[in-house]
Amino acid sequence: MRRSRAALSAIALSAVVGMVLTGCSQKSNTGSNGGSQASVGFPETQDLPPVAGKPGGTFRLGITEPTAIDPYNAQESEGILVNKALFTGLVNVKPNGDVYDGVASKWEPNADCTAWTFTLKPGQTFSNGEPVDSAAFKRGWERTSAKDSASDVAYHLNEIKGFDEMQAGTATTLSGVDATDPASLKVALSKPDCEFNLRTAAPPLAPVPTVAGAADNKAYNDQPIGNGPFKMDGPWQHDRGIKLVRNDTFGAGPKANLDAVEITITPADTGIQAEYDGFNNGQFDWARVPTPLLSQARSAQEPKNQWISKKTAGINYLLVSVTTKPLDTADARKAISMAIDRAAITQGIFQGSQVPADAFIPASFSKVYQPGVCEACTYNVDEAKSLAQKAGLTPGTEVNFQFNTGGGHEEWTAAVKQQLETNLGLKVTYSGVPFRDLLKNEQQPGATGLFRAGWTADYPTAGNFLTPLLSTAAIGAATPQDVAVGDNRGRYSNPKFDDLLAQAAATQDEAKRDDLYKQAEKIAIGDDLALIPLFARQQFRMANTAMFGNVRMDFWENPTLSEITLK
Amino acid sequence: MARFIARRLVQAVLVILAATFLIFLATFALGDPFASSGEKAVPPDIAEANREKFGLDKPLPVQYLLYVGNMLRGDFGIDFDQHRPVSQLLEAAVPNTVRLAIVAIIIDVLIGVIAGVIAAVKRYSFWDVLVTVIATLAIGIPVFVIGVVLVANVSGWGPFPSVPRSFTVQVPWYQEVLLPAFTLAIIDAAFIARLMRGSMLEVLRADYIRTARAKGLSERRVIGKHAMRNSMIPVVTYVGVSLGVLFGGAIITETIFQYNGVGYLLSRAIVNSNAPIIIAVVVFSVVAYVLISMIVDILYAFLDPRIRLG
Repeated sequence: MRRSRAALSAIALSAVVGMVLTGCSQKSNTGSNGGSQASVGFPETQDLPPVAGKPGGTFRLGITEPTAIDPYNAQESEGILVNKALFTGLVNVKPNGDVYDGVASKWEPNADCTAWTFTLKPGQTFSNGEPVDSAAFKRGWERTSAKDSASDVAYHLNEIKGFDEMQAGTATTLSGVDATDPASLKVALSKPDCEFNLRTAAPPLAPVPTVAGAADNKAYNDQPIGNGPFKMDGPWQHDRGIKLVRNDTFGAGPKANLDAVEITITPADTGIQAEYDGFNNGQFDWARVPTPLLSQARSAQEPKNQWISKKTAGINYLLVSVTTKPLDTADARKAISMAIDRAAITQGIFQGSQVPADAFIPASFSKVYQPGVCEACTYNVDEAKSLAQKAGLTPGTEVNFQFNTGGGHEEWTAAVKQQLETNLGLKVTYSGVPFRDLLKNEQQPGATGLFRAGWTADYPTAGNFLTPLLSTAAIGAATPQDVAVGDNRGRYSNPKFDDLLAQAAATQDEAKRDDLYKQAEKIAIGDDLALIPLFARQQFRMANTAMFGNVRMDFWENPTLSEITLK
Repeated sequence: MARFIARRLVQAVLVILAATFLIFLATFALGDPFASSGEKAVPPDIAEANREKFGLDKPLPVQYLLYVGNMLRGDFGIDFDQHRPVSQLLEAAVPNTVRLAIVAIIIDVLIGVIAGVIAAVKRYSFWDVLVTVIATLAIGIPVFVIGVVLVANVSGWGPFPSVPRSFTVQVPWYQEVLLPAFTLAIIDAAFIARLMRGSMLEVLRADYIRTARAKGLSERRVIGKHAMRNSMIPVVTYVGVSLGVLFGGAIITETIFQYNGVGYLLSRAIVNSNAPIIIAVVVFSVVAYVLISMIVDILYAFLDPRIRLG
């Protein structure tokens, strides 16, 4: 998943204000029932009609300092913003998650999806004139997966044959990637994946020119030369800004309209406030909004069509240790879930900026989304009590509940704790710890109870919510006594579920695959409730649509820079 | 005198070593920075490679000795996030902080001394009461309130640049430094005004002032030359300490104004748990403070021989 450090800290900041603002409303809301869920949250906005592009204009916005903009280590939404402007991978992703062509004109898996062939568009070059051929991709992928690069995001390549050897440092070339034909890239996978093409949109799978050198090439890290719609205008000025200008040699799609993009680096802890202030004082054309100011910003900007509200590919949930008491039965987990009044929390604490979840796969995956598949996501105290009775979750039972501090989770987790205590009479052992300790505690073999968790998709597929979080292979522990190093730290394991996901990975037909995902979600969430979905992710932006057309939010929650045009 | 300076130098070195050790210990207690990347677990082999790269696989005392050794050669290591040399980050930030500190000190000495002298000379008058009331208020208002109010209401107007602003907007340093310097100066100016008033009143009662007046010197000469010079001593001490603190970076003010000094650098590093930057900035602040207070002590010893002997 991408990390969104800035978003988290900004919520933290706003939580302080929020606490003051919602101190009273919270109480009056906890009495409300789940019936009002549909009306909770801000409605999504429609995209404005497209505008014919014309060259010109400078688009300005603020981001927090990214970890990297170089493909080998670009990871959080901010780094992806810059990286996607500078590089174009084999495929591209539309804001709604649909895939279209990038450098590759077509792509084809073999019958069982263990080998892929990407046909590249001819005559593609980097902005320095080097050719974008299959070797450029192989070079980039090897640079990301090499042990010495110590990339945080090399896992995007882990399905490719030879990846493990690269990570171990025993190989210097990715054996699964064949670049002998400059016009086509052949990739061999170590297991079937009929959606491997989606992964090639991720920044770490971008092509790089020979001048990139090794991953520790400082000059290239700060001024990457790419093949995207924009190129760097001078190196990245750390903690100050990044200036991009249109790449007129861009050949993988329509050229960008904007002359330049000026990206100002904002403070890590108050970045969202700075974006908001910068939009209001006319310095920025795109901004996020601090949670306490959402209603105010919406009423000011929506009449001017400068307000963007979208459900995005992410979810907040409770990770549950499903192999240890007291939550080792589906009934116990459902009792917990039904005792949580999500609507009251979204209104009282998030001011309607998040939506109560009724499924685990978010609504942004419209073909797979199953509204209400999480039957136990409805607030029903009586049902919760009787389930708790059945599961032996009697009043006074101790339940561990941990969250990470510094992420703005203090307030709503406290509300969940209070609801569990009031509605089920449980004794909730509630504690906030630094994120890395939370991770460590979840990983331990004897972990019990509930842990706060969140997930945003790396690739536009529902499988990216199920496989890494709930499959047996993703536990990352050989035996129950081992530490779980994968992302499935609740240690949910169901052969039927695993089998459906394996089938989905090897199914080429999209409709059939989606159906398999639906069945898998029905088992893991509907029947087993292996984790407890809480709030679906929704994002809000202010955008200067008075001056610019085609300003939309892309799959990574960034502005669609390559389409934006002066009006 | 030489012995006095030598003694102060040894003390300074000890303070610096103790401070670096404490901050090193504190950041060590933050734990392993590579166990997680944002909210994702980092694969054990990559975390291990990073630890190795940053020398975190060695025991704490070894790490500390290595660090001090490198530090003496001007090498503060590289930061965890972007692997940039920390000394470069410091080099970029220090001049901004020094400018800010000096401008702030000039503003607060000017305001503070003038207000203090007026209050003392016109004791119990309307002006005296006004200075006392304003000074008390200014000392009472937290610096972040002043900063936030100035950012919200004054920045973006006249010579004061917008906060935040697109990074391509070029602003000369003397414009950029004005509002943060003023913010920092308000509280110090209030302190100085009160110090100045107190010491001035004391001096005005001294015998030599009476003598000067008896000799028929003009009131201007009595106040401006004889009284003011002698009542400046506590102010000089205070300014020395204040300058030492300001050189170490004004975390809150620099952050509010997004001013690229060491205070802003530190606040960002803390948010990201970027230990190499935190350690380096703290070491720099301690060194700046110790050196400046040492220089002030030595100057003081020159001015007043009693201090040397004591």
